[in-house]
Amino acid sequence: MDYALEVEKLNFAYEEELTLKDISFNIKKGEFISIIGPNGSGKSTLLKNISNIYSPQSGSIKIYNNDIKKYGTRELAKNIALVPQDTIISYNFSVLDIVLMGRFSHLNRFEKEREEDFKIVYEALKKTNTFHLKDRNIDEISGGERQRVIIARALAQEPKIIFLDEPTSHLDINHQMELLNLLKILNKERKTTIILVIHDINLACRYSDKIILMNNGEIVSIGTPKEVVTRKNIEKTYGLNIIVEENPYTDSIYIVPLSLNNYIDQNKKKSRIHVIAGGGTGGEILSKLEEKGYNISIGVINIGDSDWQLGRKLSLNIIDEKPFSEISDKAFKENMKAIEKSHVVILSSIPYGRGNLKNLEAAYNAIKMGKTVYLVDSYSEYDKFDYIEGKGIEILEKMKRSGLRIINSIDEFLEEGQ
Amino acid sequence: MKANKMKNRYATIILILSIMLILFVVLFSTIGTANIKVSDTFKIIGSKLPYISSKIDMNEISDSHKIIILKIRLPRVLLGVLVGASLASAGTAFQGMFKNPMADPYVIGISSGAALGASIAIISQIDMKFLGISSISIFAFIGSLITVFTVYSISKIKGKVPTTTLLLSGIALGQFFTAIMSFLMVVYTKDMEKIIFWTLGSFSGKGWEPLLHIFVPTIVSIIVLNFFARDLNIILIGEESAQSLGVDVEKVKLYILILSSFMTSMVVSVSGIIGFVGLIIPHIVRLIVGPDHRILLPASALVGGIFMTFTDTLARTIISPVEIPVGIITALFGGPFFIYLLRKKKREI
Repeated sequence: MDYALEVEKLNFAYEEELTLKDISFNIKKGEFISIIGPNGSGKSTLLKNISNIYSPQSGSIKIYNNDIKKYGTRELAKNIALVPQDTIISYNFSVLDIVLMGRFSHLNRFEKEREEDFKIVYEALKKTNTFHLKDRNIDEISGGERQRVIIARALAQEPKIIFLDEPTSHLDINHQMELLNLLKILNKERKTTIILVIHDINLACRYSDKIILMNNGEIVSIGTPKEVVTRKNIEKTYGLNIIVEENPYTDSIYIVPLSLNNYIDQNKKKSRIHVIAGGGTGGEILSKLEEKGYNISIGVINIGDSDWQLGRKLSLNIIDEKPFSEISDKAFKENMKAIEKSHVVILSSIPYGRGNLKNLEAAYNAIKMGKTVYLVDSYSEYDKFDYIEGKGIEILEKMKRSGLRIINSIDEFLEEGQ
Repeated sequence: MKANKMKNRYATIILILSIMLILFVVLFSTIGTANIKVSDTFKIIGSKLPYISSKIDMNEISDSHKIIILKIRLPRVLLGVLVGASLASAGTAFQGMFKNPMADPYVIGISSGAALGASIAIISQIDMKFLGISSISIFAFIGSLITVFTVYSISKIKGKVPTTTLLLSGIALGQFFTAIMSFLMVVYTKDMEKIIFWTLGSFSGKGWEPLLHIFVPTIVSIIVLNFFARDLNIILIGEESAQSLGVDVEKVKLYILILSSFMTSMVVSVSGIIGFVGLIIPHIVRLIVGPDHRILLPASALVGGIFMTFTDTLARTIISPVEIPVGIITALFGGPFFIYLLRKKKREI
C-alpha cells in the first residue's frame, strides 16, 4: 500500500504506567495530519515514538514499508525530519551553519559539504524566506524567524515525512498562519507528508486532511476534521462544551468553546427547564443555562430561527415548527408535554404575534399546572410585547396575577439557585 | 562563495597557530639558566631533522648546549605541548558533549582516580619500571580508567547515558576517591609531600621516555576526535534534534567519552593533574573563533599546547632554580586573562 507511516499496536511507557496504549493507525503518502488532544494526552510522546526519539515497549512502526528499527540513524534522517517544540539555540552558530546541519545524514564522516549541499541549503532558505538571515547568528533572530530556520534545516534533510511538535505554540497569529501556509505549500508541491502536533483545533481543522484526536494515551478518533471534531468528541476529551460552526470564508469547520464541563453542578444536572424564545432573544438564556448543566428543552420554535440553530448546536430537545409558519396544534401539544416534564419555564422577551401566541398560552397553562414561570423582562415598555391587538397583554396580565415571576436577566434566576 | 570563505578562514587560523606553536617551542626551549641563542636552538633542532640536517653548520655550538636543548629542554617543551593539546581537546569535547561550560577533562572523576592510583603506588613503595614506564604512571592510568568505566556503568540507564547523570556520578565518585586519597595521606604522613607534588603536576626531569610512550596514542586520539567535530556541533543544539538529524547520539557520546578519557588518562599519568588548561583554553578559543567544533577543536589543541609550554617555562624560570608546580602557574595566569576576555567580549559563554 501507499502508506508513509504505519503504526500497529504501539505501547509506550516512561515508567510503569503506559503513556501510549495500543495505538494503531496508518498515514498515506502526502497527507497533512494534525494530532490534537488535551495536555498530557500523549501527543508529543506519540510524535517522539514515530520519529524514533523514543523506543516503544511493544508494537511496530513502519516508515515507507520498512520497520523503523531497520533504518540506521543516518538512513532514517534522510526519510524523516523532526522540528522539535523547543527551537531555542543558545550558541552563536550562523543561520547557514544551522541549516547546513540538515545535510549531516547525506555526508559521510570524512566528507566536506559539496556545492550540491550548498545549493539544497540555499533553496531551503529561500523557500522558508530566511535567505536574508543566512549570515546572522541563530541566537539573535526572532522566534518566528528561528522557527522558519529550523524548518529550513528539516527541508535540507530532503525528507519524505516532516514531524513538527507544536510548531505554532510560540508564534503570534500572523506567524502561525505563515508557518502553516508554508507547510501546506511543501505538502502540495513536494508531496511531503506533514504530521504535526498542535493545540489550536481551529487551525488544525483548517489545514489538515486528517486529524488524530488523542486522550489518555489512546486515539479517540481519526479521520477528516468533520468526522473528528464533533461536539461529542471534544466534550469527551477536553471536558468542554463547544459549538461546531462552518466557516464560510475558509470552507472549513471551527469550534466556539462555550463552557467548561467541570463546573457543572451535578445536582442541577437533572432539573429540567423549558425555554420559550425565538429570534435570538434566547441566546444568552440558553447558553448560560447550558453552562450550568440544566436539562433544557425549547419550543415551539420555527426551523431556521437563530435560537433554533443555537439549540441544535447545543443538542437541546427542540419542539419545532416549519419555517415562517404559525404554531400548529400538533406542535402545541408536544410543547405542553415538554412543559409538563419541566420544573421551570422561562420566557425570553420575544414579542408575540399571531404566529407564536400559542407559546404564551402554553406558558399560562404552565402556571395553571403549578409550574414556576419566569419572564426575563428586558422590554422597557409593553408596547413592543404585543403585536396581536392586546391579546398578548391580556394573557400576560392574567399570568402576572397567577404568580408569574419577572426578572431583569437570566442571572437573577441563576443566583436564586433554582 | 561563502563555503570557501569559511574554509579559508579556518585554514588560515590553523596555519597561523601552527607557525606560532613551532616558534614558541623553539623560543621556550631557548629560555633558561644556560644562556643559549635562539638561532642556535634552531640549528640544534634542525640538525636532528631529516633533509635539512646536512645543510646546518654545527661547528660553533658547544656540546653542552646541544645536550641541554636536546636531552632536557626540548622533550620537556614537547611534552608540555602534548599535555596541553590533549587537555584542551578533551575539555572542548566534554564542554560540547555535556553542554556545560563548567566541564573539563577531569569532570567525570579521571583526576581523582588517577591521583588515588598514584597515591597507592607511592605509599606501597612500588618502584619498578614496566616497559620503561614508572609504576606511578601505570597506577595513575589504571586508576583513571577504572573511574571512567565505573562512572559510565553507573550512568547507563536503558541503553542510554544521560549526560547529567554522567556528570553527577562522575563528581560523586571523584569525591569518594579523593576522600580515600586524603585518608591515605593522613595515615601515611611521610608520603604526603610526594603525593601533593604529584597531584599539582609537573614536567620536570621526564626526558624523552614518557613523551615517546604517550606521543602516538594521544596524537591519534586528538586527530580522531576532530572527525567528530560536526557531530559535536549538532549535539550542542540538543540531543533529540541531533538524533533526528542523523547523529547516533549515544554512540557518538561513547566514542567521545572513550577518546577524551583515554588521552586525559595518558597525559595525567605522566604529568600529574594540571588544572585549568582543559577548562579555560576551550573558552578562550571559543570566544575568539566561535562555537564551531571544526575550528574550535584543532585551535584549542594548538592554543592549549602553546599555553602549556608558556606556563611551564614560567614555572621553571620565574624563581629559578626553584621550580613551581606548573598547575599553580596555569591558574595564576589563565584566570585573570580569561576574566579580561570575558569582560571585553561581554558575550555569554
